[in-house]
Amino acid sequence: MIAIYRQLLTAQLQSAAQYRVQFILWMLFAVIRPTIFLAAWVAVAVAQGGEVAGYTTRDFAGYYIALTLVAHLTTAWNSFEFEFEIRQGRLSPKLLRPLHPLHYAIVENIVWKGTTILPLLAVLGLLAATFDVRFATQPLHLVLFVPSMLLAIALSFMVGWVVACGAFWLQRVQTLNTLMQRTAFVFAGQIAPIALMPLPLQVVAWALPFAYILAVPTEILRGGVSVERAMVLIAGQAAWLAASCVLFTIVWRAGLRRYSAVGA
Amino acid sequence: MSDHVVQVRDLRKVYRVTERETGLGATVRSLVRRRHRDVLAVDGISFVIGAGEVVGFLGPNGAGKTTTLKMLSGLLHPTGGEATVSGHVPWKRSSAFLRGMTLLMGNRSQLVWDIPAADSFLVLKEIYAIPEAQYRRTLDDLVALLDLAPLLHKPVRGLSLGERMKVEFAAGLLHSPSVAFLDEPTLGLDVSMQSRIRQFVGEHNRRTGATILLTSHYMDDVVALCRRVIVIHHGVLLYDGGLADLAERMAPYKRITVTLHEPLAGRGLDAYGDVASREEFRATLHVPRAVAPERTARLVRDLGEQLADISVEDPPIEEVIDRVFTGERPVGAPA
Repeated sequence: MIAIYRQLLTAQLQSAAQYRVQFILWMLFAVIRPTIFLAAWVAVAVAQGGEVAGYTTRDFAGYYIALTLVAHLTTAWNSFEFEFEIRQGRLSPKLLRPLHPLHYAIVENIVWKGTTILPLLAVLGLLAATFDVRFATQPLHLVLFVPSMLLAIALSFMVGWVVACGAFWLQRVQTLNTLMQRTAFVFAGQIAPIALMPLPLQVVAWALPFAYILAVPTEILRGGVSVERAMVLIAGQAAWLAASCVLFTIVWRAGLRRYSAVGA
Repeated sequence: MSDHVVQVRDLRKVYRVTERETGLGATVRSLVRRRHRDVLAVDGISFVIGAGEVVGFLGPNGAGKTTTLKMLSGLLHPTGGEATVSGHVPWKRSSAFLRGMTLLMGNRSQLVWDIPAADSFLVLKEIYAIPEAQYRRTLDDLVALLDLAPLLHKPVRGLSLGERMKVEFAAGLLHSPSVAFLDEPTLGLDVSMQSRIRQFVGEHNRRTGATILLTSHYMDDVVALCRRVIVIHHGVLLYDGGLADLAERMAPYKRITVTLHEPLAGRGLDAYGDVASREEFRATLHVPRAVAPERTARLVRDLGEQLADISVEDPPIEEVIDRVFTGERPVGAPA
């Protein structure tokens, strides 16, 4: 499997190298949205005397800079691609090979995220200097951030694929995907840190998987939760990942039974 | 153990399609209530194919050929019936099954467009776990047979259709599959490239002993490669047997074409056979196979020195196949 990944990575890197403009545009969009929210919350905090519910302007900067990094690493675009793969018959050649189509998507993710992470870190460094960021991160937070980040990446990927499998049944799975993204937008901690939401919304947020993708690694990275709380949240991530893997296996098998290989 | 590589029994496939009438009203109604219709694509076909056979799978558009190939290559689950390919149930898509077969579709690409074919081949080498020595040997053979050397290092998107098909063939056969399903492999190619691909498929079969099931609308492909054909129409198997037998069953006549030195004008030819066409100097007769030698001899004798040329041929295979399709009835028991 290592040899397969090495060759797939090489091929994917060669492909990715041909889309440098797309790469730059994507980088811009990745940074713009969290920066807008950061600027808005900083303005609110300043207007309220320097903080909102315990978050100072420097805490907001730490939160949104950490969030941008986590959002970058957990971006999942495969449901968007998968709809076209099914409609244009591009899934069939993959199904004919003795390698699960998920592996191609994993390699795409590694290449895309791996090649964009360094320039993104540079931009985030600039933002950190601009907003005089504060992190309350302890060494143990950094240790816990690694498994939390990996679980978040895997969870986002699998949730994306569960939705993608909707394309076996639906003409336009993007509707489902948009619904999921809007829900995630509210409940993953993008508009505001979850601790700042009204209590009923916090309950809903922790009952859905999206906060485990974005808010959990973000709070661990900036040291916004205790080590004990971080471990509970990581356990929650693992549970959601297990559930999404089981669900994916079920919908994938059912989807293949229904697959009509149109156009291929 | 059976020596049949492909075994198909009572295979069926029903597609459920959404239907909608035209117009605004129908569009609005379809938002609330969808109408579906079941389309029977393959209706209980059965056949077997032995190791190393090259079989032509014929039928008009929509006959169910591609659906059958997709089921046999594991892309589609059937609605009913059974099939095994090299002892595997295709739609279970076991790794051993996928390693031993290929499905090549003339209008579909399985290579990565942005990178040269040579790099895609290396990916396939690892996916199929092809040992280094075998990979080198197979690739060298394919490069020689298909004249691929100038194409290997160009990005696939820069290749012409014919060049791309050659590279696709190599990609599909790199893992030396024992069973190959070829769906319109010469579609859209010019005559010389069609011929090249035909020669390649025949040579590949001879060299490797691979079992091949081939669909094509070009009868030249079928005549050149297949001694046996399976004909389906509306999902039903109409014929399974020798190509030569099919001609005898469906068109039990020979075509005798006579050309004279002087105009035919009013000369009666009905006594020799059915006059299929008549021009100023030339006529074509349809004559029952059994009496064709005797009628030919009579024509030579009776026309004497007026005769400029005479030929005796089987009817064109396109005509034979067309008769099967229009007859739409089984003309031979499955082999």
